[in-house]
Amino acid sequence: MSCHALKVNDLSVWFETDSGRRQVVDHISFSINAGESTGLVGESGCGKTMTALAILGLLPTSGVGVSAASIEINGKDISSLNAAQRRAVLGRDIAMIFQQPGTALDPVFTIGHQISAVYRRHFGGSKKHLWQIMLDSLEAVGFSRAEKIASAYPHQLSGGMRQLAMIAMATVCNPVVIIADESTTALDNSTKSLILKQLERLQLQHKTAILLISHDLAMVRQSCRNVLVMYCGRLLERTDCQSLYSHAQHPYSAGLLSCIPQVSANRPPRISAIPGQVPSATDLPSGCHFAPRCIRVKPQCQQSVPHFDSEDDRAVACFRPLS
Amino acid sequence: MSTPTPPTKPPLLEVRNLSLSFHQQEQVAIDRVSFSITAGSTLGLVGASGAGKSSIARAIMRLIKPDSGEILFKGKNIFMMNSQQMMATRQRMQLVFQEPFTSLSPRRTIEQSLLEPLQHFAIGDTNSRQEKTRQIIQTVGLDHDVLRRYPHQLSSGQQQRIAIARALITSPDLLIADEAVASLDVSIQAQIIQLIQSLQEELGITLLFISHDLAVIRQIANDVAVMYQGQLLEQSPADTFFSKPNHPYSKTLLSFTNNKAPTSLPVENWRLDRGRTTAETTSNCVFARSCQVKMPICDQLEPASHQIQYRNQHPLGPHYVKCHLYEEVNTNDT
Repeated sequence: MSCHALKVNDLSVWFETDSGRRQVVDHISFSINAGESTGLVGESGCGKTMTALAILGLLPTSGVGVSAASIEINGKDISSLNAAQRRAVLGRDIAMIFQQPGTALDPVFTIGHQISAVYRRHFGGSKKHLWQIMLDSLEAVGFSRAEKIASAYPHQLSGGMRQLAMIAMATVCNPVVIIADESTTALDNSTKSLILKQLERLQLQHKTAILLISHDLAMVRQSCRNVLVMYCGRLLERTDCQSLYSHAQHPYSAGLLSCIPQVSANRPPRISAIPGQVPSATDLPSGCHFAPRCIRVKPQCQQSVPHFDSEDDRAVACFRPLS
Repeated sequence: MSTPTPPTKPPLLEVRNLSLSFHQQEQVAIDRVSFSITAGSTLGLVGASGAGKSSIARAIMRLIKPDSGEILFKGKNIFMMNSQQMMATRQRMQLVFQEPFTSLSPRRTIEQSLLEPLQHFAIGDTNSRQEKTRQIIQTVGLDHDVLRRYPHQLSSGQQQRIAIARALITSPDLLIADEAVASLDVSIQAQIIQLIQSLQEELGITLLFISHDLAVIRQIANDVAVMYQGQLLEQSPADTFFSKPNHPYSKTLLSFTNNKAPTSLPVENWRLDRGRTTAETTSNCVFARSCQVKMPICDQLEPASHQIQYRNQHPLGPHYVKCHLYEEVNTNDT
């Protein structure tokens, strides 16, 4: 299968510390087809952002180890590129939308300058051409007065507008893959919905593959076709969104789903929560990492690691999956 | 069950006609807002970012001074209090912020942070204070050994539990939670919601719960107040609100929670209005610009807040709507 827009093969990330290796991403593999969105969900500290940064090659080189059999974009391996080669890929073939647009945008340049700089870096062109490309990308994300936004500095825009500007910047070169890391988490619901709508529209136009990282399963359901559930650096479940919501197989996925508060006309039953918290990477439990918090745990779970089939469309790493 | 007696409990907190403008930015933050919370109940205050929700929380704590209006806590206007009286009142009301990490001092251990309110209000002696920190840490579901740690050594969920413990340690009557679960993971959010619910049952605390997330409000609140650009547009018992919202803005908000975004809304409309400036007159409805069912009158006349009359059912409490659509209904009914 060479038609995957993004194919990650056996990716691992670890921190080198005095007390040895701390595994934060543990041999994960997945792929996304062109024009499709895949959600990567899990609680904070599960390695979601580390996965994204490792794919892009943005992790620091000292103290952090990354290994991957391959990371392919449209069949081209980017895992072993040097810095200069990587710069040619970032922004053009693969782009990232960060969680905090306030800190990801440069405060001393206008929005227009920052967006056109991305395009100029990869394709060059006259000032006039760049300006037009930049305005087009702003209009594409839904700004009707693009010129005004282009000449604004980041602090002059609201959080939602900055996030849209970030999307404009990420899409200006029509990348093959976009990684959106908690990119709507800090926004309120109405803004969130509209941003997702814009992202979806752009995806339809350009057949972009999107990896949507979030702890918010409700949002993933809204915009993704497939979903990967991650816990302590490992993938626990891979399935399509529909099946996850109708019958999640892994107890962790089911737990995450039950945490989402629902809006209903009748007073809802008390919300249920997964007991405990994500263990730190220093003292990961043996066997299945989720075992200590799992309601379906049995002795086997603490001794051996359940197998996760990385080829199948639906896979679950659990000895006692919910059927 | 069958006796429809009107609520006789006096409100713990009453906000009357509160207005506040930030003159430097020429922005209207709060515009003639009135509401009250009965002792032991929870009011959910909802609205988009910049609607003025946090300003209300701050005004109630008297951290900012409003231009006009009154805030009555147990029947006494807090703006008429001298500093001694205010200090005594502050002990009775506490605020939990959105970001647990920034609301805890990084240089103090958790125990020091928890002891501080007790020392400040001179509650108990050294021994009983330490005993109290131990109790409160259990109440919020944490282990004693976190007392010796620093905030950075705790997870965000643990930090928020500490922030709640710190607010509860003076045994307040009123707890204001300003987006207290917004920055947390869904799983941690569920844990904190559970905690707040059980604490309220145990301690009978009154809660002003501020959130932009209607699903969270649905879990926690008895009553709902909807805020938009500084004004309260609808106020009703939660069950009524979620089964039959009246104001067009409430309906819009609810439609977002069902994961349906309006496709036609141009970005500029909802984005660029970051509140109203003081220069803008209030001779129209604040929501008129974005309203789907706008009538000509909405641009000309500001609607008053009408109480919806119910014929058949006994309302759980009064239901107010600030919209021209409901004026006629009201006059017909009465």
